[in-house]
Amino acid sequence: MQEDIYIRCKGVSIGYRERSTASTVVKKDISLHALSGEMVALIGGNGIGKSTLLKTIAGFIPPLSGELLVRNRPVSDFSATELAREMSFVSTEIVRVANLTVHEMVGLGRFPYTNWFGQLNDNDQMIIDRAILQTGLSGYENRPINRISDGERQRAMIARALAQDTRIMVLDEPTAFLDISNKYEIVRILHQLVSEQGKCIIFSTHDLNTSLTMADRIWLMLEDRVVEGIPEEMASAGYFDWLFPNNQHLRFDPERNDFRIKREKYGVVNLTATGQELIWAKKAMERLGFEVKTDPLVSPSPSLPVSQSLSLPVPQSISIDVIQLPQGWNIIHSGIFHNVATLEDLCRSIKKITTRPGS
Amino acid sequence: MKLPGNKYWKVKMRLFKNSTVGFFLLMGVLAFLFLLDLLSGSVHISLYQSISTLFHPSSSDPQIAAILFQFRIPKAITAVLAGAALSVAGLQMQTIFRNPVAGPDILGISSGASLGVALFVLSAGWIFGGTPLFSIAGSWSIVMAAWFGAGCMMFLVVMLASRLRDLMTVLILGILISGAVMAVVSVLQYFSNESTLKSFIVWTMGSLGSTTRDQLWVLVPSVAVGLLVALFSAKFLDAFLLGENYAKSMGMNLRLAYLLTFASTSILAGSITAFCGPIGFVGIIVPHLARKLFHSPLHSKLIPATMLMGAIVMVIGDLISQLPGYATTLPINSVTSLLGIPVVVWIIFQHKKIGAI
Repeated sequence: MQEDIYIRCKGVSIGYRERSTASTVVKKDISLHALSGEMVALIGGNGIGKSTLLKTIAGFIPPLSGELLVRNRPVSDFSATELAREMSFVSTEIVRVANLTVHEMVGLGRFPYTNWFGQLNDNDQMIIDRAILQTGLSGYENRPINRISDGERQRAMIARALAQDTRIMVLDEPTAFLDISNKYEIVRILHQLVSEQGKCIIFSTHDLNTSLTMADRIWLMLEDRVVEGIPEEMASAGYFDWLFPNNQHLRFDPERNDFRIKREKYGVVNLTATGQELIWAKKAMERLGFEVKTDPLVSPSPSLPVSQSLSLPVPQSISIDVIQLPQGWNIIHSGIFHNVATLEDLCRSIKKITTRPGS
Repeated sequence: MKLPGNKYWKVKMRLFKNSTVGFFLLMGVLAFLFLLDLLSGSVHISLYQSISTLFHPSSSDPQIAAILFQFRIPKAITAVLAGAALSVAGLQMQTIFRNPVAGPDILGISSGASLGVALFVLSAGWIFGGTPLFSIAGSWSIVMAAWFGAGCMMFLVVMLASRLRDLMTVLILGILISGAVMAVVSVLQYFSNESTLKSFIVWTMGSLGSTTRDQLWVLVPSVAVGLLVALFSAKFLDAFLLGENYAKSMGMNLRLAYLLTFASTSILAGSITAFCGPIGFVGIIVPHLARKLFHSPLHSKLIPATMLMGAIVMVIGDLISQLPGYATTLPINSVTSLLGIPVVVWIIFQHKKIGAI
């Protein structure tokens, strides 16, 4: 597939013109681009200007300065209808029009193509049916959009944008307010549209994990600049650590593609186990704040020194071994030996050990 | 595919599923009520008399012909026009503001029209030393003054309220605007002389029945133009349902859409206020009744439905105002208010459950 540059920002400033002289600049000097067949995730903290950027790209607010090109043509050159045939928009706002059926709402997406009275011809009907099918809403055509679930409504909004038959789709937080299943369903639909139809889809999100695993390109809005790149490059360049510069407790975990809360380590646990037991016991110990050493070949040494950087009054040294008969765990801690049967008991024992007396 | 709850929707939608049938039904009801309206009044006219007079005016009782042609028919036509015009104006405002209680009276558009007329009548007193209020030219100038006042107020309200989707804020705004307009009108009255004041007071006492046959020559084309413009902006209004941003993203020419709906609303609400005085609540409640009956928010259906139902509601209001059995008539505004306020309360409670229009 020939890759075309669908969106290009060159030194764009975004914001709101208040009067002819005064204006509120939200972000300056933005240079970004997006190609055909690309899913672009726009990531940034709350209030950093994601919506303003998307509204600028969608043509609702003119850029304060710089050049914004849609398919190599300045956005100001487009007539309203021309732009609507290139780019569709899904906003974060929940539309609750009573009695508007899914089919009628998707039909509104044909606005830039229909005549003065908005009459739908056979071709329009076909495109509407296809959009409903692609978003998995078959059978929901006659249901009013104020009486379907949030996930279904969001898919209907995407179907409306699809009916607009545009190369570019801009979505402002399409997965906000949705549960995990619906979230993945939306992302799956978007991904399918990108890979099968070569659309260029730009969406803002707070879900780092999904966007890093599914998106082809990341637009990252930081306090002082806006950067872009493929997810892996962005992660390896350490850009995500700058996403929340004011929060000392967050740390980007490249393995999980997500942020984790930084916690002080109580100490080290030597864990001897394999398979499922290893995975879940490791997770449990990490949750309780331990560094886990898991090399099953090294026999546990009972007095492993705790890392010196941590300011813990009592050095902790714990060994945990999985046993098969009877099923359970052996805990060895400063010479004392426990045997517990379940993971929950294991956690309780470890907590008891680490709870400092008197505190 | 079978879906839970689907059956329920099918049952509900069947009522007016075929909207053409619905339209014909409403037209029949309207025709019946129109006839009933011609028959009722302080002078008894039988059905046979009225029909024979309608079709053979020359060979019938001249007194009955005079009553029918000079009073009852103009009044019934005015009721039909007023109902259709105010309701369609209300429908457009509810869509534009995405607010279920918007309407020409609540948001002060009718007051704006009154202010326009007040300014015209009272200043004409200063400039010309008198007002040619009851001539055709006078009718046109009054109606244009009302359009102008309504248009200015519509513009002001859009500037203030277009970003307020909250029901209560819009209601409060309407109260404030109406209060301000009434204050200005009082000040104008204070400074005007006796004769102009008198012609203004006569105008404010306007009702459905005060429209003369000559004035209908002004009212009918004005309302027709307003309704046509509304019908022609149905597609724009549909796009407005999803909000301004979606409308823009679908390539709507916002300026043209606003201009059309402004023009239509101002002409409709202005013309009726100019000839009948303020008539409250019809503009708010009828669009909701139409939505309930036709189960569709799309304006290609909703505008004709609102027109027909507005006319029906207003003719019913007129029938009630004649107090069958008594010689006097009630002011139409009181009737519509008494009928309308409970419905508005119902709308406010419904809104909490359902969401936007």
